[in-house]
Amino acid sequence: MNVSIPHILDQIIASVPLFKPELVLIIGFIVCIFTALFFEKRWKNSTFIACMVTLAFSLYYLIDQMPNTGTGFSGMWLVDPLSTYARLVIICSTLIIAIFLQQRHSKKNNGDVYSILLAATLGMHVLSSTSNWLMAFIGIEMVSIASYILVGYFSQNKVQSEAAMKYVLFGSVCAAVMLYGLSLVYGLTGNLDFQSAMHLQGLMDAPKAIITLALLFIFVGIGFKLSFVPFHVWSPDVYQGAPTAITAFLSTIPKVGAIVLFARLYQSWTSTAFYFSELSTWFIIGVAIVTMLIGNLAALRQQDVKRMMAYSSIGHTGLLLMAVFAYQDAFSYLLFYIVAYVVMNLASFIFIDQIEQQTGSTSLLSYAGLGKKMPLLFTAFTLVAVSLIGIPPTVGFVAKLMVFTSTFSFFQSSGDTGVLVMLIVGALTSVISLFFYFKIPLYAFLRDTDQPVAVKKQISVLLCIAYTLTILVILFGIFPNWLMAYLSTSFS
Amino acid sequence: MISLTHFLVVSACIFCIGLYAVLAKRNTIMILVGIELMINAAILNFVAFGKYDKINYGGQVFALFAIVLAAASVAVGLALILNVYRHFKTINPQDIHELKD
Repeated sequence: MNVSIPHILDQIIASVPLFKPELVLIIGFIVCIFTALFFEKRWKNSTFIACMVTLAFSLYYLIDQMPNTGTGFSGMWLVDPLSTYARLVIICSTLIIAIFLQQRHSKKNNGDVYSILLAATLGMHVLSSTSNWLMAFIGIEMVSIASYILVGYFSQNKVQSEAAMKYVLFGSVCAAVMLYGLSLVYGLTGNLDFQSAMHLQGLMDAPKAIITLALLFIFVGIGFKLSFVPFHVWSPDVYQGAPTAITAFLSTIPKVGAIVLFARLYQSWTSTAFYFSELSTWFIIGVAIVTMLIGNLAALRQQDVKRMMAYSSIGHTGLLLMAVFAYQDAFSYLLFYIVAYVVMNLASFIFIDQIEQQTGSTSLLSYAGLGKKMPLLFTAFTLVAVSLIGIPPTVGFVAKLMVFTSTFSFFQSSGDTGVLVMLIVGALTSVISLFFYFKIPLYAFLRDTDQPVAVKKQISVLLCIAYTLTILVILFGIFPNWLMAYLSTSFS
Repeated sequence: MISLTHFLVVSACIFCIGLYAVLAKRNTIMILVGIELMINAAILNFVAFGKYDKINYGGQVFALFAIVLAAASVAVGLALILNVYRHFKTINPQDIHELKD
């Protein structure tokens, strides 16, 4: 590619419009560092306001960018409906997380946390709109490093600092293994763009043993971010140890970026039939089955709600993998599942946090008898739990139903036993999940407690958001067409 | 004459040493050193393969970015380990087990 420097500069300038939402995030990141340093002491919440303004501007440019598609920066940056909608979900949920952090941790000078949140958002944007390994690795590392800091930022006791240390060690090892796998793939193909023909050709010609090793190594890194089995061991510890606001962040947003990257990867690898695509199909089926089983079975015996939610989100990762498998071309259904998952998880973590504020505990036993004291909150929480199980009339049911029907039609056309096993396991684990999600209303409404809990009546911004999300859960469950029609028009 | 194979063998050896340091887990700092070795093995691979990619220099650019990212994550890791030491007075991973099933 012997092109002159003016030509390259022209190309870079031409691709800047595609990069506007991220440019806003970069500027906002720098502004947040300065406000945290100089203004936070005089005007409280100045960093929070700067962060919110940045996110709002980024959202504005993203909506502005909606009809556009294209590639920029010599194929490194990819803007299509999948990336635009994924980034919309990411920005909206980051807004909620920022409010969550502001409500919970505004006592001390915690300005820096907002700039780190913005950096994590930028990393997720990179992950969801690239098909280049270099960008993907930078995105994964940006999200990881920001998450390590977020988990460790508020650490005041033993448990929190231990969670942060476990997270950083496990994450760095996974990233290092993934980097080695990437170097092998680069050596075998000579190209870093995983959608290019040269890359696929290189994979087809490569020796099987090395290519299997490289594939497994790469899946270690993606598996860590998605927390599928066997790379899930960090997530219960970290979810339990981190502050609830950070747990809400970890369980939702990084998974959106990673699953979008994984969907792109899987689509491009299985587009042509060769040894590598068969291997990745078998890999995704096996991992989805094991992840759903382990996530839901381990959640059964948890006594801590945050730990239970960690295993439940591992179980949902299995279903997300199944969705990636079932919709190799129709990304709108995958996005529907992602939206459903993010809404449900954000709502349930806000409820967990509200209860934690009242009782000071996240243990399931401490929920005993609280249903009568906080009837509205626990009714909404139960509705969200119903949606997480996948019972109508909620969004969780619609999302699961679509994944199952699509997998079934896949099975009918191919007759593959592995697909059938995956389908059966998916249905079975949904039944299993009933038993642990229903522990929440069981303890809250049917058990009584001896020690009286003083419940303060208060209406906070956070609760309003959570109730809105609960209403969304029901609305999208009864009228899934509202969301689906919106998504599928832009994909056709 | 040193060929590509020599580089690959050396980097595979470094990767295995790093992996051993991580899995043996005697000391948290040693785990960080192991991680650093694994990353450097990958970087060596990238630069060695990059010799044959004269058009885009993808491997060398990747190596540069990997070095920066590794430094950043090790800096964060050290800060968090310092925080653990304040609470536990030890950095042996086997003695740090407040969180478990």
